[in-house]
Amino acid sequence: MSHTVLICDDAIFMRTMVGDILTQAGFEIVGEAETGLQAVEKYQQLRPDLVTMDIVMPDMGGIDAVREICKKDPNAKILMCSAMGQQALVVEAIQAGAKDFVVKPFQPSRVLEAVQRVLG
Amino acid sequence: MDNLQYAELFLTESREHIAAVNKALLELERDATGPGAAPAVASIFRGVHTIKGMGATMGYAIVAELAHELETVLDRIRRGDLAINVAIMDVLFRATDVLEKAVEAAVAGRDGEVVATELVTTLHALGVSAPRRSSGGWTTPAPTGAGTLVRIRLAPDTPLRGVRAFIIVKSLRAIGEVTSTEPPLEDIEADGFETDFAVRVVTTSPAAEIERTIRKAGDVVFVRIDEPQRVSAPARAPRPSAPVTVEAMTATVPAPSGETKSVVGQARHVRIDVRRLDTLMNLIGELLIARGRLTQLAGEIGDLALEETVTQSSRLIAELRDEITASRMVPVSHVFDRFPRVVRDAARAVGKQIDFVVDGKGIELDRSMLDEIGDSIVHLLRNSIDHGIEPPDVRTAAGKSATGRLVLSAARDRSAVVIKVSDDGKGIDRERVLARAKRDGLVDANRTDLTEDELLRLLARPGFSTVDKVTDLSGRGVGVDAVYTRVRALGGAMDIRSVPGQGTTMVLRLPLTLAIMRALLVRVSAEVYAIPLAHVSETIELHPDVLRTVKGREVLLARDEVLPLMRLRDLVGLPAYQAPSEIALEHVVVIDLGDRRAGLVIDELTGQEEIVVKQYDAVRDGLPFFGGATLLGDGTPSLIVDVSSLL
Repeated sequence: MSHTVLICDDAIFMRTMVGDILTQAGFEIVGEAETGLQAVEKYQQLRPDLVTMDIVMPDMGGIDAVREICKKDPNAKILMCSAMGQQALVVEAIQAGAKDFVVKPFQPSRVLEAVQRVLG
Repeated sequence: MDNLQYAELFLTESREHIAAVNKALLELERDATGPGAAPAVASIFRGVHTIKGMGATMGYAIVAELAHELETVLDRIRRGDLAINVAIMDVLFRATDVLEKAVEAAVAGRDGEVVATELVTTLHALGVSAPRRSSGGWTTPAPTGAGTLVRIRLAPDTPLRGVRAFIIVKSLRAIGEVTSTEPPLEDIEADGFETDFAVRVVTTSPAAEIERTIRKAGDVVFVRIDEPQRVSAPARAPRPSAPVTVEAMTATVPAPSGETKSVVGQARHVRIDVRRLDTLMNLIGELLIARGRLTQLAGEIGDLALEETVTQSSRLIAELRDEITASRMVPVSHVFDRFPRVVRDAARAVGKQIDFVVDGKGIELDRSMLDEIGDSIVHLLRNSIDHGIEPPDVRTAAGKSATGRLVLSAARDRSAVVIKVSDDGKGIDRERVLARAKRDGLVDANRTDLTEDELLRLLARPGFSTVDKVTDLSGRGVGVDAVYTRVRALGGAMDIRSVPGQGTTMVLRLPLTLAIMRALLVRVSAEVYAIPLAHVSETIELHPDVLRTVKGREVLLARDEVLPLMRLRDLVGLPAYQAPSEIALEHVVVIDLGDRRAGLVIDELTGQEEIVVKQYDAVRDGLPFFGGATLLGDGTPSLIVDVSSLL
């Protein structure tokens, strides 16, 4: 069975792009979230194998969402999606429990490598 | 999804973000030191950040670079490193404008066209805080301390190498204790190295295990593990929590669910290309025409079952039309939200203080209509700012508050939406307009005043305003003709109310939708014309006792009201009415437009029909009384009477 993914990003554009990359690689996108709060709720609901998490989102940022998700499920596999110039935030996200990161602009190969590392 | 669709998504979302950024910038400007500042900066940051990510992904270099520099500045503001002042606000506003242009240009395939070098430099200067960088290189000295020395080289193109290094350190912590790093950990996190760094780790794992752990973290091209140093007495033992972490890190935990996952609670909204909605609207229009024809044929055939089916289909088609019309409606805020920024800029440019109020943002209007009318509203707002509202000193001298008030409102009135732009400025200088009109021979030389209708008609005359500008008459009137033409083309109407010294209100009355309307069909000789039902208040028979003559002109007496009367056959140049029989009477359609009413004489009422307005490219010197054309149920073409041009 293919791995299930929850995509969290406030931009449809980004959700679509990540979704396309992962779908083409055989993953199953089971949900999308536009805010950190939604991400936490949907994680609980869907229990996906993998979460891709944007850092900057309304309501609750990605880092707090990582913290919340990992509090409830320390084994959550979360891949941060960041932009250049966010090192400090990505470090914080990793400390909070995220497993790896990819940097925008996304290259499909990089995204898939990172996903493989996260799913170990 | 192909690239074009990505580009469209990018454009749509970027526009939304730019609008949000502009809104937040205005909030920030208003409340730079107050409690509203932090959320405003956060919201601006979010918008810019998202555009940066999307732009970079699309390969729009200028967009990404500009957004990146802007974001850096915002980050400093957010952290309190940079205080807001007028100069910085200006840079932020300017940067947002250029970013918007860059976005549009990039999507149009002209990414390189927006030159932002200077702005980027300005932003960059604002954004730099002392960079932390060390020389680095493979010559990284070995960190002191206990444990195995591990040297690690990352791939040169590793993104966020500081974070990658941090992940490596974190994964090493899972198998032992990292006692020191070179450069120090905080420098590593801040990218303070080139490709190489070194750590000392106290662990019981063999070298192969250490290397495997490191390589698994990714982007590692080279690992060198030195002989473990003897763990000397003061060295700390591995943390007791380590085994737990190891398990957490390496154990392969199966996904906690085996059941099929479905997409639960997906968004209840989908995005639809406007062109698709346009196509649907056209199709339903054609369907309505076909329905008219079908109804007519069924009536002729007179089969009961057929008529029943036709009636049922008719109802379904009507429902379908209502749904499609509704799906095209968007709140006016879609367009109104960018106006505060426009007003701010225009007011600043002419040194005026303006309090801008927007009312009725939730009122909905057809998407195409809204897009069409946006520029006209901007025109009216600019008019008010440039020519209506006085400079602060003039206002104070006139006993008004120094800050002018500009109100944009939208409201629903039956099947129309009324948009008003009103200011509390000096009003239109009627005397000058009158003088100009007399000089051009447009009004009688003996006139001493103009009615509001005349004022509008004069201001709306193409050329009248241009002459105005050239001679610097009163100024007021610039562009009113353009707005008037646009509003009429959309099937709407326009009014001006102006009180000297107190202000001017421009009223735009727009139909809810462009494409479909109910119309009263009337016959004059052999011609059938359509009159929009929204503008018909009643129809009456033209008995001789409802006719009066006032000052040599025919008027209509309807419900104790005296209304001007006009004959459609005279307007279109048909020969005089010949009654087909002795008892036959002409009919009058009472047309109204808000507070203006008149009687329109026609031969006969032939029915009501749902008509589909077809673009009507009127011959320039053709009759001005028609606002479009349509095909009737039986396939004959018919002209649509433009009520606003008659009143």
